[in-house]
Amino acid sequence: MIPVAVVGVSHKTAPVGVRERFSFTNAEALALLESLRDYSGMTEGVILSTCHRTELYVCSGSDFDLIDSAVSALKRKAGDLVGGTDQYLYHYSGMQAAEHLYKVTAGLESLVFGEAEIQGQVKEAYNLIRNSSTDRPLVGPILNRLFQSALAVGGRIRSETPVGQGAASVASVAAGLARKIFGGLENRTVMILGAGSTAELVVESMERNGISELLVSNRCLGHAQKLASRFSGRAVHFTEMSFSLKEADILVASTSAPYTLVTLEGFRDALGGFREKPLLILDLAMPRDIEAEVGGEPNVFLYNVDDLKEIVDDNLLNRKASIPVAHDIINESVSSFLDWNQTLEIVPVIKDLRESWDQERKNQLEWLWKKLPDLPEDEKEVVSGFSKRLINKLLHEPVSRLKKGVGNGKGEDFLEAVRYLHDIQDLASESAEDSEDDSVLGHSD
Amino acid sequence: MQSTEVYLAHFVSLILYIGSLIVWLRSLVKGGRGSDPAVAFGLASLGVLIHVYALILFTYSYHQLPLTGIGPSLSSLALVIGLALLGTIVFGEGRRVGIVVIPVIILLETVAVVLGVEPSFEVMDFQGAWFSLHVMMAFVGLGGMTLSFAASSLYVIQLGELNNKRMGRLFQFTPPLVTLDRISRVGLVTGFVTFTLALVLGWFWTISFRQSLDQLNPKVMWSIMTWFVFFGVLLTRNLSRMKPQRGAWASVLGFAVIVMSYIALRIFVSTRGFFL
Repeated sequence: MIPVAVVGVSHKTAPVGVRERFSFTNAEALALLESLRDYSGMTEGVILSTCHRTELYVCSGSDFDLIDSAVSALKRKAGDLVGGTDQYLYHYSGMQAAEHLYKVTAGLESLVFGEAEIQGQVKEAYNLIRNSSTDRPLVGPILNRLFQSALAVGGRIRSETPVGQGAASVASVAAGLARKIFGGLENRTVMILGAGSTAELVVESMERNGISELLVSNRCLGHAQKLASRFSGRAVHFTEMSFSLKEADILVASTSAPYTLVTLEGFRDALGGFREKPLLILDLAMPRDIEAEVGGEPNVFLYNVDDLKEIVDDNLLNRKASIPVAHDIINESVSSFLDWNQTLEIVPVIKDLRESWDQERKNQLEWLWKKLPDLPEDEKEVVSGFSKRLINKLLHEPVSRLKKGVGNGKGEDFLEAVRYLHDIQDLASESAEDSEDDSVLGHSD
Repeated sequence: MQSTEVYLAHFVSLILYIGSLIVWLRSLVKGGRGSDPAVAFGLASLGVLIHVYALILFTYSYHQLPLTGIGPSLSSLALVIGLALLGTIVFGEGRRVGIVVIPVIILLETVAVVLGVEPSFEVMDFQGAWFSLHVMMAFVGLGGMTLSFAASSLYVIQLGELNNKRMGRLFQFTPPLVTLDRISRVGLVTGFVTFTLALVLGWFWTISFRQSLDQLNPKVMWSIMTWFVFFGVLLTRNLSRMKPQRGAWASVLGFAVIVMSYIALRIFVSTRGFFL
């Protein structure tokens, strides 16, 4: 059993108004984890807090109820919610918790399926806790392994499947189209007609890619100036729009005009003939601002809102087609995490086994030294060395087979048999028995 | 023994080119993501390096440049095309034209190996530095045309993807239109200039040695026709600057005409063992 659990809330279970109640700052996350470590049985913990989800990953060295403690911690954070908090929370433990983290990191649980940002957010959350300067570390071997493997799984799924392929929003499709036509967006001029919110997103996305100039044209010059100033652009009067069209490499149209603003004839007049350089037109307006026939002009690439939406839908469909392969990778990784976890269980048993045999070796050597009191020191060293070699040789095969057996899923039975045959105490059950004895004593008091 | 080494080096470079093609195809399936394009280009570069070694070995072994005889000539032409591919590294994503260029190289080198990369005993009117320059410039010209063809093919494909509003793996893999157009133009102009110089050199020396140009010689026929194809493609490109797809199609069709006419002349007119 993997001693890991996760409790969380996400866009799938709660609206934004509820999710923001569960949101953690870095300082709050550290404080909560320290408190859980000090006052509950949690040994390791990480909090992932993004716009779309808050998840608390906890790990314990003993049998205490991880989920209850984690749920209580999140409930305290959210405070009172109408209808209670439970309806928004989900929780997984053991293998399911590991599987969930792998899915989250790969973007399979994201609002935009397959988005890559989550990979960075998981890494950031893990690094925040791992590098925190608390008196005792909040991340130990198990969560270290789990998060590192999750990041590897996320990377592998993105490189081996089309899960992150193709733009998944109108803004990123527009930026992708521009890149495929012009190469880089450096030294390119973008012109916006109108000032719709989608147009703003598109411009934002292009600005990140380094456009050289932005022209904004709107019926209301004030609005144009306001938007232009946000992106260090230039406002153009609506009547001069056709003159500026010649300069533009990309035209984003999103006015609320009830009629077509740019007709084929008007477009040809504005350009004064054919264009030598390509022009990408993104008509995001409804009704459309640009006459469809303009798209038939040489060197003009015209996309309306339906075209862009269709591309987004196709891309999402392609991404989702990769789910079976992604699940195979996740299952394989969960299985190897489980194997690794099982090998953790045999380490103390092997250590105890070796110590027990070594103690017996020392006892026998003491007996031998008494029987051979005149044995010179150098010969004693040879005999002692031989005894060590013999013990190592005798233990080598059983230990190898034990490791293999654990790897094959027979861990519990084999460990039990070794403990019984070599009289090794199970520390966990021993401590459980101790606590039972204490409680009995307490009752009798 | 020397001949075996020449073949072995050719074989190794051929394997590397094939490996490069396989990785290019895998990269295409993955939409150009990951490190595959870099690996494919790396393998192709290694193939070119071994190919250079193979032809140096040929030169040392037979004391002649691999410029005469069909096997050595095709191998040299393949190498020039390979070097042209390496030059595309300055175009960034443009190096993905390798997916079209590499099959051409593989085809040429395979034919060269099958027919034999051995010295020809072709009796030449003239040899020496001017002859080598003539042949090498002709090869650079053909290499430029091949590069232009590769970039133009991808241009036509990318244009189709953009016009049909598809953004699938092919769209993701194919370089930007502007880059492809630039590679195509550079290949074509370089090719035209060097090929023209090669023809002028050839004409000048033939006239000097033979006093007249044998217009029915298949080499002469093919060279003149190739020059006209070059010229036609350049003219089309310049006349249709508003419609770059027309220029791209011209490069694709021009290359096809050159290849088809070469094959036709070899089958019906030429003599065995000669380049043409």
